[in-house]
Amino acid sequence: MAHLSDMPEKQRNMIVNQDLPEYDDTPCVDGPALNERKIAIITTAGLHRRDDTVFTPGVGEYRIIPDDTDMNDLIMSHVSTNFDRTGFQQDLNLVFPIERLQELQAEGEVGEVASYHYAFMGATPPMAHEAVAKDLAGLLHGDNVSGVILAGV
Amino acid sequence: MRPPRALAVPFELGRPFGAPNESDFQRRVLLAALKLLERTDGPFIEDFPDGPPGPPADMEGWTCPVNLALPQTDLSDAEKLALDLKQEVALLRPWYEESVKNFKGRRLDGLTEFSAEEIIDFLVSFVDDPSIESFMDGQPVGRALKLTSDDLKHFYFQAAMAKPGSISDIQMGDWYYGETLAGKMFLKLRELCLAHESEALQMIGRTNFVPNAMLKHA
Repeated sequence: MAHLSDMPEKQRNMIVNQDLPEYDDTPCVDGPALNERKIAIITTAGLHRRDDTVFTPGVGEYRIIPDDTDMNDLIMSHVSTNFDRTGFQQDLNLVFPIERLQELQAEGEVGEVASYHYAFMGATPPMAHEAVAKDLAGLLHGDNVSGVILAGV
Repeated sequence: MRPPRALAVPFELGRPFGAPNESDFQRRVLLAALKLLERTDGPFIEDFPDGPPGPPADMEGWTCPVNLALPQTDLSDAEKLALDLKQEVALLRPWYEESVKNFKGRRLDGLTEFSAEEIIDFLVSFVDDPSIESFMDGQPVGRALKLTSDDLKHFYFQAAMAKPGSISDIQMGDWYYGETLAGKMFLKLRELCLAHESEALQMIGRTNFVPNAMLKHA
């Protein structure tokens, strides 16, 4: 994660001027202990299976990554050149920590790993994602997912 | 809607769980984020206290398996450019194949169905004549350029990762944009798109081929 103070002015302004929700002093929602939760991963790394359609810049959309996917089959069609890809290229778990999540489940820290995980492509205006994000939230709820790790790149 | 919990991590963009092949550290970061689910105060942004393990990747002595002598190719000679690029790919191919074995079959390219040689022909045809139509069904020329050029770049990157050891994006970028003919062509693609009459191609030229940190090689 880059601090705003480290960013070039143009990128900093693009983030600061986003139309985002304000929470004031609203507390986070209550829920069960971590070892009773079912966890899914949502990455913004533009990952998908080799046979899936590549991401389209500017379009709100996601790809499904079932937990029985051969993770060696995941490729990245993210449009941006301005984040490090060499880490992902050396180790998928650096952006999509599926094996780490499975380990935490085996250790009893996490209750359950969800059957489906999801990928978005960042560098897309947040409001373009709103409709599909709401739809996906409903799907996650229906799948009894009670916690999501949002892993941004 | 209630606020999300956030863990701020002091890692490079693109490395949200710290460092590659550092499973214990990655698990610590993931658990630190997930533990926030048990907090009901907020809104808050929690700081992760530690930087990524190991020395900075830039300090390590990575070298490309192949010593590519950047040919003095005239990029306006399309036929020679294509030949020299295919020679470069031929030099890298054994290391690409070695890298795929090391990665247990994982391939980084595959956004398109084209071979590296076919992609070279496509990209060189654009360098030769930026007014050409798209060479991919259903994709405008700009997106076709992006997908095929990423595939070619990923082929090079995977070949460069054949030797054990960690590599940073700066090291990889300096090698690709500074020492390979393909990288030199990417800088040319950027230049051609920026000068193109199509606003879509101008935008693609600004952001799609060369990271800001690598414009020093232009």
